[in-house]
Amino acid sequence: MFLRILSKSISKRKGKIAIAVIAVMMGASVTTALLTVSLDVNEKMNYEFRKFGANLLVLPQSDTISVGIGQFGFGAVTEQKYINQSDLYKIKTIYWAKNVLGYAPYLYQAVTLENGNETGVAILTGTWFEKDTILEDGTVFKTGAKKINSWWEVQGDWVVDGNNSHDAMIGVNVAERLGLRLGDVVKAGYNERPEDAGNATSVDLNVVGIVSTGGSEDDQVFAGLDVAQNLTGKTGKVHTVQVSALCTKCPVDEFAAEIEEKIPYVDAKTVKQLANAEMNLLSKIENMMLLVSSVALSASALGVATTMTASVVERRKEIGLMKGMGAENGRIARLFLAEAGIMGIIGGILGYAVGLVLAYFIGLSVFNSQVMPSLFVLPIALGIGVGVALLASLLPVRRATKVEPAVVLRGD
Amino acid sequence: MGDAIVRARGLSKLYEPDTWALRDVTLEVERGSWVTIMGPSGSGKTTLLNMISCLDSPSEGDLRINGTDVTELDQKALACFRRENLGLVFQQYHMVPYLTALENVMLAQYYHSVVDEREAAEALERVGLGHRLTHTPSQLSGGEQQRVCIARALINDQQILLADEPTGNLDVKNGEVVLDLIKDLHDDDHTIILITHNPEMSKMGDVLVELLDGRVVSSGNVAGAMGGG
Repeated sequence: MFLRILSKSISKRKGKIAIAVIAVMMGASVTTALLTVSLDVNEKMNYEFRKFGANLLVLPQSDTISVGIGQFGFGAVTEQKYINQSDLYKIKTIYWAKNVLGYAPYLYQAVTLENGNETGVAILTGTWFEKDTILEDGTVFKTGAKKINSWWEVQGDWVVDGNNSHDAMIGVNVAERLGLRLGDVVKAGYNERPEDAGNATSVDLNVVGIVSTGGSEDDQVFAGLDVAQNLTGKTGKVHTVQVSALCTKCPVDEFAAEIEEKIPYVDAKTVKQLANAEMNLLSKIENMMLLVSSVALSASALGVATTMTASVVERRKEIGLMKGMGAENGRIARLFLAEAGIMGIIGGILGYAVGLVLAYFIGLSVFNSQVMPSLFVLPIALGIGVGVALLASLLPVRRATKVEPAVVLRGD
Repeated sequence: MGDAIVRARGLSKLYEPDTWALRDVTLEVERGSWVTIMGPSGSGKTTLLNMISCLDSPSEGDLRINGTDVTELDQKALACFRRENLGLVFQQYHMVPYLTALENVMLAQYYHSVVDEREAAEALERVGLGHRLTHTPSQLSGGEQQRVCIARALINDQQILLADEPTGNLDVKNGEVVLDLIKDLHDDDHTIILITHNPEMSKMGDVLVELLDGRVVSSGNVAGAMGGG
């Protein structure tokens, strides 16, 4: 009988219920959008961090010199500096050494690639893959790109570090561009002074693996560090070192400071620093949306409260009649709260749907990324919808329980 | 002296600050009798009926209904007492507008105990509305609505029917139908307490109580009153 009363009461007052549902929907949609964007972007950032593998990037300090005549500036030139390969072991000598899971040096150089008639330019990246290094205490420490980027998808094999091994892994985009397959040999050429053809050097690389990461690695060619150093004449030099540190609430900033202390001519940047700008933007958007959500939910509550108050006033005789028939206040309250709950559920579901659309557009316009809907947000949107509707109905329901049947049923 | 189902002693009702709607009313209603209350507007008829209906509480005095001192009951107990003992019929019918005639009767069952659709339909058939079960109040005439209200008032076997001007809004023909129903209930040993302005209706009860300015000015059985008149 209760459900019959409830359903008929709601269907009789569809218009007014719709207003309350829209009010709940607005609040729930903004909240859904906030949560969806926040969860999705955070997840994407975490994914990016995981993709990066390393959480510290060590770079040589650069001197930047401003160039100009008098007051007219032409810009700045930056002198290319390197990190000495011989200093790399120091990374494993810091206080937190045990937390350093691995590191990989990188030397980058644009080279020309020749595969039969196909030629192209790509970045040759010299690195260690899984190299045995000797630490200060004489122990062997395996480290390299494979250690810190184990998630890379490699078709074929990883390069095995060895004396001047000419094995290489090529990025999937390079392979496609030059029609390279596993087992092919590609010629990498380098000339520091292109005007002097006699200065050119080259090396034949055996393609043993094709790398696919979805990032910049797809456009690079990976070879042993010594191969790249020999080709480019930069023996014992590297451009950057990526360091992977165990990081569960670990003091990555302290890692960075210690590395800078041990190797004074480098800057160690944490990935957190690199992502700070994006995180700040996300944080600002979250705060703004939190504010908008609060305002929207307050407006929702006001809308529901107004509708419910009007409903109680309009149905005073009905309430009085029910009381006259022996209904206790609890039964009257249950009827109105159930109506509010249904408004909350419908408003919450609609709010979730509208919120996903909002989140999609926010994702596209602010983060230039498609936000994926999360079912996890649905119960939250429902909870918020029902919660707001019930809370906003408390005062009107109290008013309903105060209706005096003797007053409202009086004959005129 | 018979068995009094309603016993009021020195009932008074004060509406603040200083309006006495009822002053020192003493009244006894015998079980199974028909008491008609008459009086001009503002004489306190409805206030007295509201007290006996347990919809309002007296400022002073004692009121025992069916052996229970209702002035001692809290709101929840009063609601329970109402649904067990009292059937209410109002001048303006008062039905839940979005429920059918059948559902309006079932509503009283729902608040009392268990809903029995067949029993509710039978109650409506008894008041001649077996063919109007699925009609909503807006599809029923005033007389039909009042008949639904009578069916609803006694669906839970309440012993006392309290009616405030039950024919006040009805034409003569429908008024007679409603009165006949009340007579039938009286014949079935229900206690009837009825307010009316209609002198003709007052002749139908056992006892006539007249109020003026919140006080009982006369009380006696109808035969005696008619004979005296």
